[in-house]
Formats: sequence, structure tokens, C-alpha cells
Amino acid sequence: MARIHFNEWPLYSPSDQNKKENVLMVARLMVNAALTAPFTGGVHGCEAEIAHGQKELEKIAREMERLAHEEQPKKLKKPFLYEAAMVRESDVIVFLGNFRAHTTPMDASCGLCGGEPDCSFVYDRRPNFNGVIDPTDRRRKTTINGPLCMLRAHDLGYAVGSALWLASTHFVDAKPCYSVGLAGRNLEFCMDSEIVVGILLAVAAKNPYADIPPEYHLTNMTNLVDSLRKIATITRQIPNHPYMVFDPTRPVGDKSDKEE
Amino acid sequence: MAVYDGFEAANEHLLEVAKACAAAAAKAPTLTSNLGLRMEILTGEDLEPMIQVLETLGKTSAFQLHDASAFRTYKNEGILPPVLLLGADLTQPPMWNCGGCGFSTCGEYLKYVSRNKGVGVGAYGPTCLWKVIDFGIACDYACACAAHNQAEARMLFSVGAVSLFLNRLEGCSFILGLPIGPVGQYRWFDRMPWTKILNYEQRMMTQLAGAPNLFMAFSGGGKPILKSKPRWWENPTFMKVETDEAFIEAEANGQAEVYEKIMKLAGVLDDEDDQKDES
Repeated sequence: MARIHFNEWPLYSPSDQNKKENVLMVARLMVNAALTAPFTGGVHGCEAEIAHGQKELEKIAREMERLAHEEQPKKLKKPFLYEAAMVRESDVIVFLGNFRAHTTPMDASCGLCGGEPDCSFVYDRRPNFNGVIDPTDRRRKTTINGPLCMLRAHDLGYAVGSALWLASTHFVDAKPCYSVGLAGRNLEFCMDSEIVVGILLAVAAKNPYADIPPEYHLTNMTNLVDSLRKIATITRQIPNHPYMVFDPTRPVGDKSDKEE
Repeated sequence: MAVYDGFEAANEHLLEVAKACAAAAAKAPTLTSNLGLRMEILTGEDLEPMIQVLETLGKTSAFQLHDASAFRTYKNEGILPPVLLLGADLTQPPMWNCGGCGFSTCGEYLKYVSRNKGVGVGAYGPTCLWKVIDFGIACDYACACAAHNQAEARMLFSVGAVSLFLNRLEGCSFILGLPIGPVGQYRWFDRMPWTKILNYEQRMMTQLAGAPNLFMAFSGGGKPILKSKPRWWENPTFMKVETDEAFIEAEANGQAEVYEKIMKLAGVLDDEDDQKDES
């Protein structure tokens, strides 16, 4: 008989790893949901990639922290840092990207990109040959290389929505993040896409993406536990005693051997 | 005690499903935490103006005719479904300066919006990338809820665009419409009403225009025959790129008719002539 034990704590213990495998199963199903989501004209434009494992997640968290300090506007600094902490508390990340928004617009004159009754706003600003956009110059002057076909970008929402819906029906906590998507894209997750959303996934008694205290990148559970380990190590060296021969809880001179 | 007709009861239930879809969209997670989603459920006669404008648009455009014919048929059959309108002002950015819109900062973008905000076939723009993604998540939640309730549904650009022009959900830059029902099958995909609208010749020509390559004979000679009939080698046909003045004029006239229709329905123009026409 085989047994599989599950427990969310300690992190990355065999029991937690078992739980993470469950989350990975849901993550894979989320990709199905994303790929079958309703899209404009039913046209396929979504790619997906999954990241899991302590080291993979750590790399993503660090890229988010780099973005927070080096590239993002001030108002995004803390959200990016907080979400990096959430990455470390996550089990799996699903990346969803749209590979059409920057290369193959819908060409429907919808008006979303530039408020004009044609697609000139995008085509006047992206190198193209008779309407075939050249995406090979990948240098970026801004975080996202725009403008984009906003109807295609809208499609990415449906992919994310269906993935989130599936996570929620399986009682897996999920949070879609700009920061995670950006870091993932920079690390070549969904590498055909200019726009990527990262969905954090976790199974835990307390949803790690809700009830966020101030300075969360410093005050999160991992830091609290580390702090406890650090302080407990020092503290125990003060009330130390030779426990085989001395019990400080007993009154001085009490030599009786009776159970209380 | 009472006995209900199953289909009638199910069609009546669709309004409750539409409400559930609205609740789902409202609960949808966002990236910006600031979507400003707005919704309305249209039923019965309140859909008539939208159907009329779609019919007018349908005179020159297939996809609006596709939806107009479905709505008109369902109305004639007494099974016009409720339509959940979802909208938001997607021109307001979260000030992340991502550049997705094509401007270097949200400030530059907003400057452009203040001077150049305009409208296309069905939406105002320019649009903030992350708002349009958030709006997609909300719309998807509405769709997913309909799917979980086994309701026929399809996100329609057409009815949303027309609702936008008829001033529903005022202040929104983009509106989409989600009909919830009618109950049954193939209500919005492989539609029965459409069987009576488009003939075989039109269907074949649409396929040919959409994928000329598939119907192309040997191209090495430089002027490949386009196989537009079973014995394609007899009286061969060829592809030719040209401007189509007649089509352009018809489309312009169609647009003018649509604007006139919208103005009348919105009460800006007198609609007496229209009523005479209909009587």
C-alpha cells in the first residue's frame, strides 16, 4: 500500500511537494481553459507556459525585484516587491501571452487602438511591408513595445479569465499579475508574446494573495519565520542549564522523585 | 401545484442566468484593480433599436447581418433572449507608463486622448492596454458563467457597438453584448436563421476570398487560374487587385443610412418617415 501525505508546511517538504503536484495538475488544466477561451473571431493567439520549483520561482521573484528598483515607476515599486514575496509563497505560476497583438492585428477598424475608423494608428507606428508587420527589431524603448492591436490584447483577458475561473472552481487560490507577467516575459516565458500575464497559484489555508500588511516584502511569513529562527537561537543561550542534573522549574532543595 | 412548459420555463430562467453572469463579471479579478465595469441587461422591446441598426448595417456587412438575422428570427419566434451589455471606459490608464499604447508615458497618452479621442467601427480609442485586458477578464467571467449554466451565449461585438452608438452605458469607450440564450442548440454558432440568408454561391465566394491559395492552380506561369467552379480549366477565372468604386459607394451610402437610423432612434432626428415605412 502506498500513501501520499499532504501538508502546506514546512515549505518544500515532501508533503508540501505532494501538494504542489496537485497545483501543477490544476495549472495544466488552466492552460486548457485558457486555450479554449472565447477569442475575437475564434482566432488562436494565446500561448502558455508553466513555471514551478523553488529555484525557478526565485529567479522570477528576483527579476520582479530588479524591475521594481531599476525600471518601474515609483507607484509600482511596492506592488512589484510585494508580489515578488507572493511568488515565493506560490506553488506554481502560469504564464499566458498573446503573440498577435504586436504582429498580426485583427484589421477590423474597430477604433480601440487610436480612435480612428481604420487601423492606421498601429500600422503608421510599426514597421511593416504592405501591412505585414516586421517584429524582428525587439529593442524596447518602453516596458511594452507598443502600439498594439487592442482587440488582440483584449483576447488575452479571456484567456486569463478562463484560467482563473478554472483555478477558482478547483479551490486553488490564484492572482493575475502585471509584474509576474513582465518578469516572465523578460525571462523568455511565452517568448513569442509582447504582452504576458503571470498567474500565481497557491493551495494554502490562508490565501497568500489577500490580507497584505504594510511593507509586505519585509513582513511576510518567510521573513517572520526566519526572524523567529534567528532570535530563538540567541535567546536559548541565556536560560541554558545542564538539564540532566538540574531542573530550574523545581524549587531549590526539592529532591523528591514523585510525579505531580 | 402547477405544470410548466419546459422550454418556456427555461427561456424565462435565462434572465436569472444573465443576472448570474453579471455577478460573475463583477467578481472577476483584475490586474489594475480599477476597471470601472458597467453593465445593463436588455430584454424584449429594449433590444428592438439595436436589431434595427444591425439590420441597416447588415445591408453592406455580413457579420452584422449574421447577428441581425438571428435576433430578428428569435424575436419573431417569441424567444428573444436577454442581452447582458458589459462596458467600461478603457481610455483611463493606471499610470504604469508601460508603453503598450504606443506612447512613452501615460501622461503623453492622456495628452493625445484629450485631443484625439475618436471612434472606429465599434469603439472609442486610444485604449489602455491593461484596461482592455481587465475588461476581457470580466467579459470572460460572464461567458464562463453562461457556459456553466448550460446557456447558449456568444460575445457579440456587433450588438455592443450598436448599443454604444445608441448611448447605452454612457461614458463607456467599449461595450460588448452577451446574449444569454435562447435555450436550445446552435443559437449563435452554425445558426439556423442564417441558412435562409446566404446562398451557396455567396458562401463559396466568401471561402474563395478568405483563402484564394486553396483554390489556386499552378502559379509558376505568373497568372494562376482561380478555381471558382468544378470544371475550372474551362473559361478560366483569375484574381485581380482593383479598387471597387461601386462597393465603396454602397458602403458609404450604407454608413450614411446607419447614422441616420441611429439619430432617429436616439431621438435626434424625427422618425416619422420611418414609422410610415414600417406601416
